[in-house]
Amino acid sequence: MNSDYELITRFIKGEQSCFEDLIHRHKNKVFAYISLYIRDQALAEDIFQDTFLKVIQSVKSGRYYDNGKFISWVMRIAHNLIIDHFRRVKQMNTVSNDNYESDIFNSSKFADSTIEDDMIKRQIQKDIRKMITQLPDDQREVIILRHYAGLSFKEIADITDVSINTALGRMRYALINLRRIMDEKKISLTLS
Amino acid sequence: MMPMGLNSTQFISYHGIKVKNADLIEDAWGMNARFCDVIELLRYVKPVPEKKLTDKLIEKIRKNY
Repeated sequence: MNSDYELITRFIKGEQSCFEDLIHRHKNKVFAYISLYIRDQALAEDIFQDTFLKVIQSVKSGRYYDNGKFISWVMRIAHNLIIDHFRRVKQMNTVSNDNYESDIFNSSKFADSTIEDDMIKRQIQKDIRKMITQLPDDQREVIILRHYAGLSFKEIADITDVSINTALGRMRYALINLRRIMDEKKISLTLS
Repeated sequence: MMPMGLNSTQFISYHGIKVKNADLIEDAWGMNARFCDVIELLRYVKPVPEKKLTDKLIEKIRKNY
């Protein structure tokens, strides 16, 4: 399998399909990060597209220097776009992110399962998503970056501009809080 | 009498050690072991972009770049 760097190099030389390979390789991690952070599905989709478009612009203008961490760099771009969005919303003093109710799991496929199982699964997924959104922003971010984007603590620390110890501390508090919410709401994997 | 620990620790072969997505720092803090129930629950959610969204993005890139 070609490395990210090889694909970028070939894309710069004109092989369009190489960037498409990169999108297919990393789309799930990028989308998971954005869509769990932004509850408005349409907005999350816009930021998802903008992230890759910005990546292309940066790569084409020679602003990407490979250090073997392409996905970490992409996540930083997504992170900055999300921050920009919230800054704009704050300035405009418009509706809160919490007012949106959308189901980002519409695309999930549950093969070989009954309708009842699907409903239970969807309910559990909604509960988990709700649990995540109840966390403070800094804790929510570290949970998403580690468990859904698959970044290391070193990479998370770099993206969020904190020390590794701070990132770990946030993760610990996030997990403690999630367990507390799980206990309070009696959320568990009830499917057997 | 068996030396302490030898009959209580499960043997794991070298190939049985899972290192994919492992983070040594996280391991050192013992979070995976201590919060395995919470982490298991988090794994239950797997948001993925719809195919039409990815197709739309690729179409946009083909047109503009």
